[in-house]
Amino acid sequence: MLRSKYSGAFSIIIIAISIIMVGFGYIIARDTLFMVENIRSQFDVDIFILTTAGSDDIAVFDKKLRRMNEIDRVIYISPEIAAEKFKKEFGEDILDILDYNPLPPSFTISLKPIYRNLMSVEAIANILQRDSVVDEVKYRKNFLIILEKYQRIILVCVLIVFAFLTLISIILTSNSIKMTIFARRDIILTMKLIGATNRFVKTPFVIEGTLEGGLGALLAGLIIYGIIYVQNTYLQSFFNYTLIVSYQYYIGLLLLGSFLGWIGSRQAIRRFL
Amino acid sequence: MISFINATCSFRKNAGVKNLNFSIDDGEFVFLTGPSGAGKSTLLRLIYMDLFPEKGKVLIRDYDSGKIKDRQIPFLRRKVGMIFQDFQLLKDRNVYQNVAISLYASHYKIREIKSRVYDILNQVGLGHRVHHKPTELSGGEQQRVAIARALVKEPIVLLADEPTGNLDPRVSIELMNLLHKINKKGTAVIVATHNYSLIKRVPGARLIQMNDGEIASIT
Repeated sequence: MLRSKYSGAFSIIIIAISIIMVGFGYIIARDTLFMVENIRSQFDVDIFILTTAGSDDIAVFDKKLRRMNEIDRVIYISPEIAAEKFKKEFGEDILDILDYNPLPPSFTISLKPIYRNLMSVEAIANILQRDSVVDEVKYRKNFLIILEKYQRIILVCVLIVFAFLTLISIILTSNSIKMTIFARRDIILTMKLIGATNRFVKTPFVIEGTLEGGLGALLAGLIIYGIIYVQNTYLQSFFNYTLIVSYQYYIGLLLLGSFLGWIGSRQAIRRFL
Repeated sequence: MISFINATCSFRKNAGVKNLNFSIDDGEFVFLTGPSGAGKSTLLRLIYMDLFPEKGKVLIRDYDSGKIKDRQIPFLRRKVGMIFQDFQLLKDRNVYQNVAISLYASHYKIREIKSRVYDILNQVGLGHRVHHKPTELSGGEQQRVAIARALVKEPIVLLADEPTGNLDPRVSIELMNLLHKINKKGTAVIVATHNYSLIKRVPGARLIQMNDGEIASIT
């Protein structure tokens, strides 16, 4: 019984370590992708309007932009607002320099997330460019090219790391449960000799494996909660990073641990039946 | 009840049995003797279908080694009691639990389990050791727990593989007397042993001598 208790505790610790790896793997993957998406969300397209365009033409174009499904947000920047922005950015009033305001009216549009890629942006820019009131459509093409290139690399790296951690955790969990069951193979053999059906032999081990998985996940959840608490309370200003996880995340860990315990014990006991 | 028909089984190199042809009737007492490696344990394992003959077949009542399905084996083993030299008791459970587990596995009701276990433990003289762990018992007592576990499900045959191998001569004789008593109540008993002195303790028992996996003589 003592041996069983020790091997059970060992299994729970190994499962907890595995779940912590998967848990943090998930957070790293999620936050990396979120960061990339956040950078992408800052991507805007500027549409400069011909200075000859009348206010009615601009209003019609404004409506056209707002009707476009691809566009998430439209901001109209009149020449006066543009002049104010110029003053804020450069510290000098453009009217003092040139005696007139040469800045054209413009629109700054944000695209919906799925259209924030080079192909879509080029297509939308071409459509807009053809409008009679539009002078020029400008966007940071190089920014998109670099972002798309690195996003793929980041996505692949994140997926590899996450898959690797998950694989390691499955192997660790499965092996620790196997060891627990192997330590009690004499019980299994005896049970088989006295006429116990496979199901009768298997059920207690599977229940135990599932519980060990759940307890391991609970322990992992507590440790992750503690690490997140320390990070957000004491280290947040140092790393300028706030870790946010929902209660669903902890439920997910609990289910994952129980599932790993269940599947691991089923696989392990099969060898002895 | 038990028939070996041209049964050959060689599960390991230089180990196994060849062309076994004999039968054992209900209520018989049979000794299997022969040197180590003669095939005694293999023969017993063929009876409880831990091994299967690659040639011929073994019949135990309605169970045919050639036709039995995996899911039927537990039901056969409920009719075959087994005891071993190393007792094979569960060390983390007490005497009562070690015996009762046999009935739990056969889905008996709790009340019936209780009465049967106490009854059988009294029969083997362990009524006072119910709550002891196997490690707190002598070798003879542990073997009697194993016998109780085998008998509690009322098997048609009790197989004993070198049951006295770990016991001193006095306890071995006591054990043999117990097996004889069990046999007199109608349960067939097959004992594999190379302790010839024990054979004399059971008058009228059949003796099957084995050598190199074959039956040398049946008397």
